[in-house]
Order: sequence, then C-alpha cells, then structure tokens
Amino acid sequence: MHRTAIRWIGVSLVIALFVAATGSPAHAQGSADPNPGAITLTAGFDFANAYFFRGIPQDDTGVVMWPSGDLGFALFSGDGALKSFGVNIGTWNSLHTGSAGSDGPSGKLWYESDFYTGASLGFGKGTALGVTYTAYTSPNGLFGTVKELSFKLTVDDSGLLGAAAVKPYMVLAQELDGQADGGANEGTYLELGIGPGLSLSRASLTVPMKVGLSLSDYYEGADGDDTFGFFSVAGVVTVPFTSAPTRFGSWNIHGGVEFLFLGDRNEAVFGDSSHVIGSIGIGLSY
Amino acid sequence: MLSMSGVRKNALTLAAAACTTLFLASTPAWAQDAASADPNPGALTITGSVDFLNQYMFRGIQQNNTGFVTWPAFDLGLAAYSGDGGLKSVTINFGTWNSLHTGNTGLDGASGKLWYESDFYAVLGLGFGGGTSFSTTYTAYTSPNSGFTTVKEVMFKLALDDSGYLGKGAVKPYLAIAQEFDTDVGVGQADGGANAGTYMEIGFAPGLAASRASIAFPIKVGLSLSDYYELEGEDNKFGFFSIAGIVTVPLGGTTSFGSWNVHGGVEYQKLGTTTEFFNGGESNQVIGSFGIGFSY
Repeated sequence: MHRTAIRWIGVSLVIALFVAATGSPAHAQGSADPNPGAITLTAGFDFANAYFFRGIPQDDTGVVMWPSGDLGFALFSGDGALKSFGVNIGTWNSLHTGSAGSDGPSGKLWYESDFYTGASLGFGKGTALGVTYTAYTSPNGLFGTVKELSFKLTVDDSGLLGAAAVKPYMVLAQELDGQADGGANEGTYLELGIGPGLSLSRASLTVPMKVGLSLSDYYEGADGDDTFGFFSVAGVVTVPFTSAPTRFGSWNIHGGVEFLFLGDRNEAVFGDSSHVIGSIGIGLSY
Repeated sequence: MLSMSGVRKNALTLAAAACTTLFLASTPAWAQDAASADPNPGALTITGSVDFLNQYMFRGIQQNNTGFVTWPAFDLGLAAYSGDGGLKSVTINFGTWNSLHTGNTGLDGASGKLWYESDFYAVLGLGFGGGTSFSTTYTAYTSPNSGFTTVKEVMFKLALDDSGYLGKGAVKPYLAIAQEFDTDVGVGQADGGANAGTYMEIGFAPGLAASRASIAFPIKVGLSLSDYYELEGEDNKFGFFSIAGIVTVPLGGTTSFGSWNVHGGVEYQKLGTTTEFFNGGESNQVIGSFGIGFSY
C-alpha cells in the first residue's frame, strides 16, 4: 500500500512536470534567457533498477530513485589564464523500495543522502579543475557517514576535435572519515573516464566509459586491497522537452543502459562479475 | 571529546556565516551593476536560508533542550499561472527544511547523529483578488537520526495580505488547519499519541518596513481540533501562544546573486498543559535566533 502510494506520487509528479514543461503557453516559449543572473539551478529525478557506488554493490532489488539538486554560483569570469571560477553546493539522494530501503531491516525508503560543496576553476582550451567535499550519509542507518575530498581534472576537447571529442577526465578522491568499502583503512580512489557523444537537433547520445581503481585501500576485501574496482560503459539518450529554454528553464527526459564489469572484491560482494543497470529520469537546468 | 567536536563545528559554522556575510557585503562593482536589472525574470524562484537557534519547539512541542539548533532550508517555486480573472495566480513549491542538533536529540543524544529532522514538502498555492490566498501543503516530517517516526500531514492555509487596505497597519492574518494521516499508536504523530491529530493555527504578522531594515511581529496560537496535543489519554486544546520580534536587514540590494539578508529575533511561547509537560514542566519558553537568507 505504502509503495503503491509512493509510486503514484512519483508518477504524478513526473506527469505534472512533463505537462508543465511541455504545455507552457506561447508567452512562455520566448527565446529570452529566463535566468541571466549568476546562480544556476540543476536538478534531476532518476529511476534505476540497481545502484552501485563506484562498483560497490548497494542494492539491486526493487526500484531505486535518485532525486538531486545543485546550486551553482558563477563568481568570476574573465579572459586571462583563469577563465572562470565557480562554487557549487548540492545534494544527491537515493531512495530504495528494495532490501536497502523500505523492504529492508530499517523499513525506511531513504537509503542515502549526500551533501557536497565544491569549487571549480576553468582555464583555457576547455580545461577545468574542481575540488569537492562530500559527506555521504545514510538516513536509514545502513552505512556510516563517509566524508571525502575529491579533485577532478576535465578537458572539454570539443573545440579541438569537434564531434569527435571524447571529453576525458580524471577523479582523485581521498576518504577523510568513514569508508565506502567498510574496510580497515580510509581509501584513495582514482577514476579515469571519457564521455564521447553525438548531438542532434532533437536528442543527444553520450557513451560514457570509466574505470574505477583503488590507489590505496579503496576496495578492501578478504585478500587485501583490490586495485581494479570496475569498468563501466553506458549509452545515455537525452531528449529536451523544448528546443529553447522556457521561462521554467530547460527540461529533458533521459534514459540509458549501463554495463558494469566488477573487480574481484566487488564481484565477491555482489556474487556476479557484471550487471546491467537501466535508468530513466527527468532533468532541469535553470 | 564530543563537546570539543561541537565547539569546532560551531566555530566552522559561524566562520562560514561570517565569510558569506563579508562576501555578500563586499560584492564587487560588476555584481552591483545588475542591481537595477532582475537577475531572474523567469518563472522559477529559489529561496534558501540557514538559521541558528537555542531551542526548537515544533508547534509548542519541545524538540531539544540542550545544545544549539541549525535550520538549513531550501525552496523552489514555480509560477505556473498568472492572470487578471478571479484566480490571479497558481504557484507550486517544493522544498526541504532541516534541523541539525548538537544537543540531546542530536550529536549528544542516543544516535550520536546531528541530523534530527528533514522535512520534504510540496505546496499548491492559489492567489485570488484582494490579497487572499489559499494553499494546500503535503509535508513528510522525517528524522534521519531516528529521533521520531515519520509524520505525514496535509495542511490547508487561508491567508489575507491586507497591505492594500491597511498599508502600514496591515496585520496579514491567516488560518491553517493540518491533518496527520497514516498513523498508528505512537507512530506518525507529532505528540506521539494514540490517534492522528488535527491542528489549527491562527496568526497575524504585523510589521514595519524601512529602507535599511524591516521588523515583523508574528503572533500565533496553536490549538488542537482533535487529538493533536494528547497527554495521558486526554486531548488538551490549547497548545501554545507565541509572539516574536524579527529584524531583517538586506545585504546590498539585489545583485546578480539575488537578494540576501541577515535576520534575527526573539520569540516567547506560552505553553498549554501537554506542551508544558513535554517542556519539562516549564510553561514559558524564550527562543533566540539569527540567520542568513536569500531569494533569487
């Protein structure tokens, strides 16, 4: 009964937002920027059949929902070596109807709530460096809070390669307190990835690929630290609701399939060496 | 060790608030250029705030009695419709309101966790002529540190902005009725009682606005229409009476980052029989608060 109500609320919200975004009257379809100021809001609500955090199994039963919101503050933009400076603050959440949520020992839906804040520096040729502090918390008490500091280097090579751009990035994360693997020591994580894609007039397709590695104690298992955590390749299609921003911003619906190949430690926890994750959701940028 | 950690967190929070205030107060000229232009002419409005208090009373019901309380909140408003007919506006709001406690119901409590309360709400608001508005709000009050069981509530609120009639003498009256649902004995209820409660609140918010600051004097009374303030099998109708003074000082006008303010106030609550019991036998409560807010 409870789950049915939640599903209906979720479905109703999606329909209401879809209708609101697609059914905006003509006066709302103007091409003028609805938000020329220095604050940007992005938000999403996604549904998935499983949740793996950096290859570490979290839940593959029931339905997983990921509401998220981010506020970006554009503090500086210029023409020098430093092109931009911004600060972000946001939250990312994971709601589970399965064994890690309302059907689990806590009986509570809200499995994970992350709070993060970060700063990013934009340089020439599409290069950017970001630093982020994240507190991963579990409102239903299924894991202890993990605090982490991460650095991300990205290159948007669209200017050099055009449609063939692969947009490489590298993430280096250090656990400060608490551990994602529940192991003996705080871990150091490295992620390398690319995000090639195609952009058409009515939709875009991206094919993100990434590999997650332990530099130190990030994937601790019975046989010690496993360096290889996971490899992932996905296909994600994004369809904007409108061709230009409306006074409600830019909305989209997106969906994809991710193929996940796990390292020995994560395979031992999950009981299988691979998994397919399907997801669908709506997104907002304003 | 815990108190040391609390002191460090307090210092960090205060330092962050001070830095934010300094940053906003010293917003560079390029950000002020946009003062005359609306940075956000679209249909979405973002509001947020962080407040610090010595005490959290939910509709007169004590929620902590040691340490201090921090309230981060965020709201997204969608202006879905505006017109000149009988119905002037339709708005939809989504938001979250949170209460972080260092004291006995937070870090120093049984859970050892700071995050005492996290509320999610959605509001449908209808604006009519003459400053009248009617809103329906669904709220899920949850407790990440399991300090209480989730309370689900639907609230209806009728409000009148009488500024158009009374100018500076406006009192902005409102009436709210809230119904708890999906309850069980001791579960899903603000009073932890036997039955789902029905709550009524009547309030006014007279105030004065000047160019550099504004002051508001919200006055309200909370009553149980049915089983909202249960105590030992008896429902006590009178929950609380509250009067407060709140000063709000804008920070630097409207910039490309929206409008920011600092605010602070003192609230006095006179409690009823049930709420006095929950407050350790003390029928009076004084609450001090200050915070920072923004609207974009």
